[in-house]
Amino acid sequence: MDKTMAMPLYLIKKRRIKRFYLMITLFFVIIQLLWVGIPIFMAIMWSLVNPDDAWSYPNLIPPSFSLEQWRYVFNYTNIARALKTSYSIAPLAVILSFLLSLPTSYVLGRKDIPGKKVFMLVVLLPMIMPGMVVALFLSRVFNLMGLSQTFLGLVLAHTLMSMPYMIRVMTTSFASIPQDVIDAAENLGAGTFVKIKDIFLPMIRPGLIAGMIFAFTTSIEEFNLTFIIGTPTFETIPTILYSFMGYNFIRTNASVVSLLMMTPNIIMLFIVERFLKSDYLSASLGKM
Amino acid sequence: MKKKDKMTPFIILMLIPGVGFIVFFIGSSISITVLQSLGFFNMMGESGFTLGYWKSILSSREAIDSLLFSLRMGILSSVGTVLVAFPLALFFRKSGPAKGMLGSIIKVPLFIPALVAAFLILNLISYHGLINTTLMRLNIIDEPLRMLNDSFGWGVITIQIWKNLPFVLLILMSAISSIRDDTIDAARNLGAGYWSVLFRIYIPLAMPGILVAMILMFIKAFGDFPITSVAGPVYPSSVANRMQIMANLYQEWNQAAVLGVIIIITTFFVIWAYSRFAELVQGGA
Repeated sequence: MDKTMAMPLYLIKKRRIKRFYLMITLFFVIIQLLWVGIPIFMAIMWSLVNPDDAWSYPNLIPPSFSLEQWRYVFNYTNIARALKTSYSIAPLAVILSFLLSLPTSYVLGRKDIPGKKVFMLVVLLPMIMPGMVVALFLSRVFNLMGLSQTFLGLVLAHTLMSMPYMIRVMTTSFASIPQDVIDAAENLGAGTFVKIKDIFLPMIRPGLIAGMIFAFTTSIEEFNLTFIIGTPTFETIPTILYSFMGYNFIRTNASVVSLLMMTPNIIMLFIVERFLKSDYLSASLGKM
Repeated sequence: MKKKDKMTPFIILMLIPGVGFIVFFIGSSISITVLQSLGFFNMMGESGFTLGYWKSILSSREAIDSLLFSLRMGILSSVGTVLVAFPLALFFRKSGPAKGMLGSIIKVPLFIPALVAAFLILNLISYHGLINTTLMRLNIIDEPLRMLNDSFGWGVITIQIWKNLPFVLLILMSAISSIRDDTIDAARNLGAGYWSVLFRIYIPLAMPGILVAMILMFIKAFGDFPITSVAGPVYPSSVANRMQIMANLYQEWNQAAVLGVIIIITTFFVIWAYSRFAELVQGGA
């Protein structure tokens, strides 16, 4: 007798449902691969176009490949300098925002102070406020303080934009330390220094790393403030990409810069994914 | 039970570096925006209270068009992203084969900067982009469709949805994950079909998450500068674009400040409306 015939009806039904779910999963995987993959694939194609063998309308992929575009971008544009500026601002902004956020996150995570909700909301302001408004009128403040078109001004601006992520993520990790552990340490005679070294720092480390990665990518991506406060003295990767996409649209250059900008970010995404719980992702993204 | 902590000088001192830094810079820029929109605090020329700048902005056809355009982008982007993300969030509720990997792929655009996202999508939807080329090869259309820099702003909406889908998905997933299986099972037992489970359980219980996602998306898309300036129509520009042009190109800082105040007020109004609405939703449930 056939095997399926011997099976009770509910098992056959269950198996069918399982197969149906598998089909749906497969469908979503394919859609997702196309949804994310094709745009990135096209950018890679555009960055490999051979200038002697033009890629024009009816062809779906370039007729031949070369690294000429990459060479061109590094030799004839300011990208090398912009990379240097971006990657020297970002670490400084991360360190500064960490130092500024640490005490505040401790208080917001561990103490039950009046008006805590208001403080949590205020801390989110740089993220909530429309970027261009802050950029334009912060540039007025910076003008008064002599910070416009300076490196320090850019570091301060980037610090400001990365602080919401830093504070939120670190507050969450401070809040997740069980009070018992601290009480136990105090009972056993731990002083403030020992508590910081042996309890707080190890326990907030995952949150700290997540916060730092978010702060770093925020700084690398930051466009509005850099564009208003830094241009034309300083160029970062986003502002140079904007110039490639604006008044002089050069698709091949823009694709090289796009790839340069997003590859480190995507690698960092996978680091965050590997080492951290996804809670940190949603915590930093303003799950209110 | 822990008792409430008091605001000791020590705690205030601890709050100053973080909260103080943010309040100082954001607060000063908001104040300058408001003051300049009313004619005070001019860097050059004389200052004094006037509503003239408000009048000239509110009577300017271009400013109103920009405002309406940005509102449309904000609303359509937030509705569109939630519509795309909600089915996905439902799908991710139960863990299953290959979903871990799928979850990682889906989050990729989250870490792609807005400008890069704009460029990536622009390659697909431009006049001779991939979509038009494919459709023409398949003989579905005779002439390329205009999807980029179109006067309605579909290009902008597409980019916003692509870029912000993972962000909205994360919020919706955390909202849906808090719905207990028992609730669904009970409803199914009592004879609820798929659709009534969707409309009577999933959507109402995930409403706070849906609202947060829509609010944040609206704020992002409404105040957006780079995406609209790359993929938006030639006219009207977004409010943020118009404000920047007024300030940096025409040096009309007071009128730019008026637009800035309008953006800030809209943002805060939306957040306020959300908090009232969230109370209503939670009160009703």
